[in-house]
Amino acid sequence: MMSVCPFIIIWKKGSGHLSNLSKDLSEALTIKTAFSFKIAGHTIAVSESVVVTWIIMAILIALAIFLTHGLKVKNPGKKQIFLESVMSAGYNLFYGILGDNGAGYIPYLLTVMFYLGFANLIGIIGFTPPTKDLNVTLALALMSIVLIEYSNAHHNGGKKFFKSFAEPLPLMTPFNIMEIGIRPLSLCMRLFGNVLGSFVVMELLKAVCPLFLPVPFSMYFDIFDGLIQMIVFVFLTALFMQEGLIDD
Amino acid sequence: MGTLIAIGAGIAVLTGIGAGIGIGIATGKATEAIARQPEAEGKIMRNLLLGCALAEATAIYGFVIGLLIIIMLK
Repeated sequence: MMSVCPFIIIWKKGSGHLSNLSKDLSEALTIKTAFSFKIAGHTIAVSESVVVTWIIMAILIALAIFLTHGLKVKNPGKKQIFLESVMSAGYNLFYGILGDNGAGYIPYLLTVMFYLGFANLIGIIGFTPPTKDLNVTLALALMSIVLIEYSNAHHNGGKKFFKSFAEPLPLMTPFNIMEIGIRPLSLCMRLFGNVLGSFVVMELLKAVCPLFLPVPFSMYFDIFDGLIQMIVFVFLTALFMQEGLIDD
Repeated sequence: MGTLIAIGAGIAVLTGIGAGIGIGIATGKATEAIARQPEAEGKIMRNLLLGCALAEATAIYGFVIGLLIIIMLK
């Protein structure tokens, strides 16, 4: 009965709450090791995020095999119609941004999108979301910036690629070079901060009032926010790529 | 020391003000734009999403800094 009213609980826990909270937070931030094994004298620790990523990979591969099994040109089943509508919606979203020049990069973006979607939502069934690990988001952001710069260089050729750093004014060159570092940093911090932030807020809510109150917030923080961040990540990557892919 | 850390983390999270104002203005303008030209809704939503993501980044930086203050200075 007490837990219905949040204020009573806060008052009861009193001033010792902050130190407990910081302990909880640092516990939430540390990357747990799932298991470790030895190869030639070196101990290799495999972190939890890697194992959860393997689980997501297994789910995605199983889904891909299940959904693409028995595709038909005539009389497609419900499964195939679902698959085609999802894929064409995703394809058209990115095709609208990238156009013909970047159509070849769409499968990569869709793959990252599906991975991020599963990674952000897997917290619902009790796994630790891998995107809560800074290393995962950093790796994704590095892949994105490599793809952005590669697509620019591939489309425009080397000379024009280096020239594009001095645009629109030669004065802007240092800022354009800084952008190579800032873009992946902001991509990685945005994803990590959002996932961790919603995790922390949910933990706080559960500590304050474990009854009923977390349910509507969980709908927002776990499901809606995760999906929005999934779209924002691939969307920003596609928009940054678009800048380099425009024909003059 | 604990109080100072809490105050510092609180100040860092004030970045949320800027992000809130920014996203509010952007959403208001986007709603106006959709009311004027409902046929351009897709493009407007796309730009709104981008703008919100960029405006939100400042709040996220504040949050990360606040978290670092709590965890590093504990």
